[in-house]
Amino acid sequence: MSRRTNGHHPEESPDGEEANAVDGAGGTTGNRGKALSIETDGLQLIYSDGTEAVRDVSLSVPEGEFFGFLGANGAGKTTAIKVLATLLKPTNGEAFINGFDAESEPREIRESIGYMAQEIGIDEELTARENLQFACAAYGVPRGERSERIEELLALVDLAEVADQRSESFSGGMQKRLDAATALVHRPPLVFLDEPTTGLDPKARNRLWEYFREINEEGTTIFLTTQYLEEADQLCERISVLLDGEIVATGSPTELKRRVGGEILDIDIEAGAETEEGDGKDPRERAAAVASDSELFESEAMIETTEEGISVTSQRARSRGTDLLVALRDAGLTVTGFNVRAPTLDDVFLAITDGEEREPNKESDPDEEEADEARVATDGGESR
Amino acid sequence: MSTPIETGETTGTAGSERTTREIRRSSNSFLGDVWVNFKRWNIKAVRNPFVLVTSLIQPIIFLILFTQVFGAVATNAINAGGGGSITYETFLVPAIAIQVALASAVTSGIGLVNDIEEDVFEKILVMPMNRAAVFAGKSAAEILRIVVQIAIILGLGVLLGAEIATGLAGAIGIMAIGLLFSVWFLAYSNILAVLTKDQESTIIGANILQFPLLFLSSAFLPLSSLPNWIQIVAVFNPVTYGVDAARALVLGRDVMTVLDITAFSGIWNTLVPAIAILAVLDIVLGGVAVFLLTRATSSDAK
Repeated sequence: MSRRTNGHHPEESPDGEEANAVDGAGGTTGNRGKALSIETDGLQLIYSDGTEAVRDVSLSVPEGEFFGFLGANGAGKTTAIKVLATLLKPTNGEAFINGFDAESEPREIRESIGYMAQEIGIDEELTARENLQFACAAYGVPRGERSERIEELLALVDLAEVADQRSESFSGGMQKRLDAATALVHRPPLVFLDEPTTGLDPKARNRLWEYFREINEEGTTIFLTTQYLEEADQLCERISVLLDGEIVATGSPTELKRRVGGEILDIDIEAGAETEEGDGKDPRERAAAVASDSELFESEAMIETTEEGISVTSQRARSRGTDLLVALRDAGLTVTGFNVRAPTLDDVFLAITDGEEREPNKESDPDEEEADEARVATDGGESR
Repeated sequence: MSTPIETGETTGTAGSERTTREIRRSSNSFLGDVWVNFKRWNIKAVRNPFVLVTSLIQPIIFLILFTQVFGAVATNAINAGGGGSITYETFLVPAIAIQVALASAVTSGIGLVNDIEEDVFEKILVMPMNRAAVFAGKSAAEILRIVVQIAIILGLGVLLGAEIATGLAGAIGIMAIGLLFSVWFLAYSNILAVLTKDQESTIIGANILQFPLLFLSSAFLPLSSLPNWIQIVAVFNPVTYGVDAARALVLGRDVMTVLDITAFSGIWNTLVPAIAILAVLDIVLGGVAVFLLTRATSSDAK
């Protein structure tokens, strides 16, 4: 049985000093010296109807990381996670999970991972305890440890009081928590969570987040797919954005936000505010023209009209904001509100999925990354 | 039960540490995996006695109605060859025992479809269990239910006046024949479930065969009293071999007419070929079911 460690990881530098783990799309991590829980190279999956659901996905997830796959519905997240969890065989490429080859060692992988599907996979005719007993037996947890482990997990997911009730009587949130517990019975070093909080109310979602953080803090690597930007932002140390089955950006939430190109100045303009200087144009378009002509933000700024007014994304959004407000007033426009904010993952996600920012699924170094950022900033988002 | 622990290797690079976490290997054996699934399906059967009862109702109705409605007519046909005076109850009980096996086996695939529809199947696929053992455990639980149902039918038949010439040993033998007979149809029902992933298709696909199989066999009347074409079809019908084997145990003599085997003595001239044919059928269809389950992926599940 072969086990792969970072001893021959491709990111190792030639001089013997190990580089930080670098994912296939150029994101960096601080997981220096850590072995890899997930390592894939050129992973591709084509369904029998010809749909290419996953294309050329190369990524490296170090042990202990909370890693996220972010993408819209149909982006290929679930297919990708199923390939990694040995539920689907890739058409091309290779994947090593916990050091085991997905092609030749699926059973070893299944023993070493927990998997929580998007849909709840518990047997509703069984009680919560019986579901956990089944999972313990199926994962081969030694008999002597089962009772203690089950009690521990029931307490972790707040189901101890209803442990002997049939799970068909549980709410969706309770069933999700039980589902998560069944994936953890064997203390897997790596857990796959496929959109685990979809359909849950905010309270239930927050509770699940707490559990995931807790097991991650205990050292478990977590691979999460989500379409909720807030979820990725809250939980993940590093995120890959998936678009049409392809990784188009990777980095920490902070890194990704930085790629948007600075802070965002949102300015609300009074609709229909006309002065003698007005020429019948939409006030928002006039405001955008003023911002653009003012030379306050130089060429790197992205100026867009919004429903309420305009939005300026710039490294100088904060320092030049007041000057822009003055310029807008001088142009006869009425500002009804403004706000300077850091970009959210929504901004990143929208920018990427709208084709504003796109990068190939290839390795890159930090210098190249900076150059890429500059290019994105100046060209307004060339598809890369 | 020991649980092997496997750890990662130390990397040879400067600054790197032995960071691979311990990976606990499952200590399960094939039989362990069978047991896990056997237990689960038995719990479900106890929680949902509806299936046990409904699959028993129809054969019981057949047993009572057939003996009351056709009893007098059929008794003449049974004894037409001058082979003694066998009551129709005695003649019919082995057929109903096989009918129970058939009716219960029909429902087997429904359980699998439920698992697929409720996403439990995918969860099981990602567990480190032997997939043949998953099928074997589920089937074993269903066969246990079938054996209990056959015991109920035999008891009811005796109450209605049927006589089992071979006694208790014969009754146990009939249950064993029922077990052997049910495997191929269980497998067939599960094959339908994996291929269609749909409850209605699975039920229809299995049910559609149930009555033709029963009526185109030696189940309800001696083959000699049936049209020639039915006698020909009956040779290729597994129900004929299941019923003949069970009937041989009830009557304590060789009853097989579709094959002329004389290599053994008495009752064994029926039992040996019947058991051999059913065993081959079980292996073939069971093998196909296991193959389909083994290659099942979540794309098959949806």
